[in-house]
Amino acid sequence: MAGMKGISAPTIYVCTRMRVRKAKLLPREEYQRMLNMSLPEITRIIEETSYKQEIDELGTTFKGIDLLEVALSWNLAKEYQRILDITPGTLKQFTLAYLRYWDIQNVLTILRGKLHGEKTGKIKEVLVPAGSLDKVVLDRLLAEDGPDRVVDALKGKRLYPVLAREYPAAKESGSFAKMENELYKQFYAEIIGEASGGDSGGRMFLAFIRLDIDVKNILTLFRLRADNIEEDAKEMYILGGTMSAADFALLNTVKDYREFLDMLRSKVRTEPVVELLKGIETERPVHEIASLLVKVQMEQLEKLSRRNPFSIYPILVYLEKKKYEVANLRALARGKESRLPSETIGKYLVM
Amino acid sequence: MADAVMTMEMIQASQVGMKAIGAGLAVGLTGVGTGVAEMGIGAAAVGAIAENKDFFGLGLLFTVIPETIVIFGLVIALLLLF
Repeated sequence: MAGMKGISAPTIYVCTRMRVRKAKLLPREEYQRMLNMSLPEITRIIEETSYKQEIDELGTTFKGIDLLEVALSWNLAKEYQRILDITPGTLKQFTLAYLRYWDIQNVLTILRGKLHGEKTGKIKEVLVPAGSLDKVVLDRLLAEDGPDRVVDALKGKRLYPVLAREYPAAKESGSFAKMENELYKQFYAEIIGEASGGDSGGRMFLAFIRLDIDVKNILTLFRLRADNIEEDAKEMYILGGTMSAADFALLNTVKDYREFLDMLRSKVRTEPVVELLKGIETERPVHEIASLLVKVQMEQLEKLSRRNPFSIYPILVYLEKKKYEVANLRALARGKESRLPSETIGKYLVM
Repeated sequence: MADAVMTMEMIQASQVGMKAIGAGLAVGLTGVGTGVAEMGIGAAAVGAIAENKDFFGLGLLFTVIPETIVIFGLVIALLLLF
């Protein structure tokens, strides 16, 4: 009973549902099979799985690959909202906090689209209304005339202070990178604040966030190397992981790849990530490193969810896996449409 | 002497009473135990059934397995009483 203390029936109910749902996601073999198929065949398979309802609903307004893409993101958003409906208590609070990640993505997509004068319908296709800004709010934002009005319309929302502070500079330089960073920094700072409430559920959520931040920071380091950007690395650093800001800046100054890897290994304190880094010997493209890191993160998350079967972990595992399933299907469809070879598409999938 | 007879009767009566209390405790406490055990299994079973109806039979079976505990209690209670 010691391990079961304080676990309520609703938690057990939700966690079991998440496990069953996770088991229903597309298995690895299915992706391997789909890699060898043509686009119409892939579309048919997607129609036959859990995305049928969305495809039927949107079938009259969209065609071909656009239909597929909109259906996928609608399904993802709906699925996330449905999960929120059944999660109880603090688990719901954490899930909500985690889903606010999509707010940033959606707002940035709208701002970018508006800045480049894209059509409203085109922007709407790529939005995933899964966060606290729901479909109604996003539609209202889409209806605004220009990016400036969009930022104004967000007044009173969580994102507004950072947007108001960073937007003028971002608009001037034409690059949203810094603003995006600031938004994510704020996002992580907020969820760390929420998770530090003190109960055991909060500690588990905090461990997940730490891992997430570590992975993001490491990936940023690899990206900075690949792009040869000498910029102030501190700007890109996200606070809250196991790596310190000083280490981050120091790592960014190391020129030699091997030296960089050695140093990174000694600075990272997450065991599975260190194992992964040991496996990397020669210089590799960033997208490969990214998918390796994601894989390690998922494995670690699954391990934690097995160790704590009735906690926030099974929910997070499912949310993440579903996100990658949608991303994979989209990559498959888009890749096939642009006639990329299967091996190239395969490298971008998270399996 | 009369006092002693009274005491014997009292002892006999209280023995029956004690047995009844024991039987009650046996059924009652095992019932609580069964309830606690079934809470988790039941919640998980309902969760699984909500996702996939095929789990109904298996879920029901697993949910009632802790009923054995209360049956042990009942057996003890019956042994005590008869």
